[in-house]
Parts: sequence; C-alpha cells; structure tokens
Amino acid sequence: MEFAALFLSILVVLAITWWGSREWALALFTIALIASVATYFHHATDVLKLSF
Amino acid sequence: MTRSLAITLNALGLYAIALVLTGAFAAQLLLNELPCPLCLLQRCLFALLATGPFLNIRYGPRPSHYAVALLTACAGAAVAARQILLHIMPGDPGYGSALLGYHFYTWAFIGFAAAIVLIAIVLLFDGQFHGDTAAQPVEVFVRAAVWLIIGLTALNVISTFVECGYSACPDNPTTYELLRPSR
Repeated sequence: MEFAALFLSILVVLAITWWGSREWALALFTIALIASVATYFHHATDVLKLSF
Repeated sequence: MTRSLAITLNALGLYAIALVLTGAFAAQLLLNELPCPLCLLQRCLFALLATGPFLNIRYGPRPSHYAVALLTACAGAAVAARQILLHIMPGDPGYGSALLGYHFYTWAFIGFAAAIVLIAIVLLFDGQFHGDTAAQPVEVFVRAAVWLIIGLTALNVISTFVECGYSACPDNPTTYELLRPSR
C-alpha cells in the first residue's frame, strides 16, 4: 500500500512539473524524495533474518 | 552545448528511464517475478529521476534541475547498494532471476551510477544555461518521452496496488494480493 501511495505521489510530482508551476513541482519533489528516503530507512532498520 | 541539444539529451534520458521501467515490467509480467519492497523503491526512484529532465524540458536547463536528478540518483544508488549487500554472502542465490549475469538490483545500481556520471558530464557545458530563456515549442520526440514516463508511472501505481493491496507489501511476494481468491 505504501509503495502504491509513493508511486501516486511521484505521478503527481511529474504531472505538476509538466502542467503546473515550477515552485510547486520543486516542493512536491522534495516531499516525494523525503518519503522515499524515509521508506528506505524504515526498511533498513528492519531486523534481518540471517541464516549464519 | 546549445539549449536545444541539452533538451534533446534530457529527452534521451527520459527514454532510458522508460526502458528501465519497461524492462522491470517485462520481468514482472513475462517471468511472473513480483517486485520486492526494495525493488519497488528502486522503481519509484527511477520514476522520480525523471523530474530533473521534466524540469529542464519545461522550464529550460538550469543547474538546480540537474541537482534534482543527482539527488534522486544518489538515493537510488544507495537503495540498490543495500540490496546488493543483502545478497553478498557466498552461496546466496540473490533475489529473482539474473539478466546477462547480473540481478536486476545490480543493474539498477549501474543505472543510477551511470546517471550520476552522465549528469555531471552534461553539467560541464555552461552554454546550455545562457541565451534565450523564453519557453520554446516542445518537439513530438520530446513530448512522446514525457507521456511515456507518465504512462509507465501510472501503470506502476496500478500494478503496485494490485500486488500489495491495502496492507504492507510482503518481503517476498508470490501472488497479487488483490487477485487472490477470497477464502
């Protein structure tokens, strides 16, 4: 679900970049990038099930 | 480098991103290899990478637009590197099948690293940032690249929603959650 939302936010960023204003595009890009990095850190802090 | 050449190169970058996203879709649909969470995040960052070229085409080339793409490529390389390191132990078969000897996340790392190097090379040419800054008509070749990226990102929204449903995406997905027969 979180990745579908992330893809949707990126779709909005691309649409605003093409049809909207530059300021809004940069602001929404920043939010989407922070959300992506936050998702990465969420995954990176998961406990790994290692077999060794 | 002229402004129009820079815009053509940005459009070619969009076609390269479209090729990557199409290849990932092909593996998902033809080989029935469902993307894991880190795989999906790399796809997200490839799509977000298109923001830089979009800005350059729409508003003209600016260093800040290339910075947008560079930041995204760095984040994408970090995610791909993590997935490579998760499977670095000898004997680990890796996640999914390999293409030309490398797994898709290794190709993703190569793709993001190549983007960083290519953007840095294009930034060396100051001529693209001078001259007429008025909006110019967008060629069909460029417009098609923009629509291709928007279409592929929209398809990824649908595909990811069907794969993960309303819950968190599983670490090792085997079926599409929304297509699973109800019990």
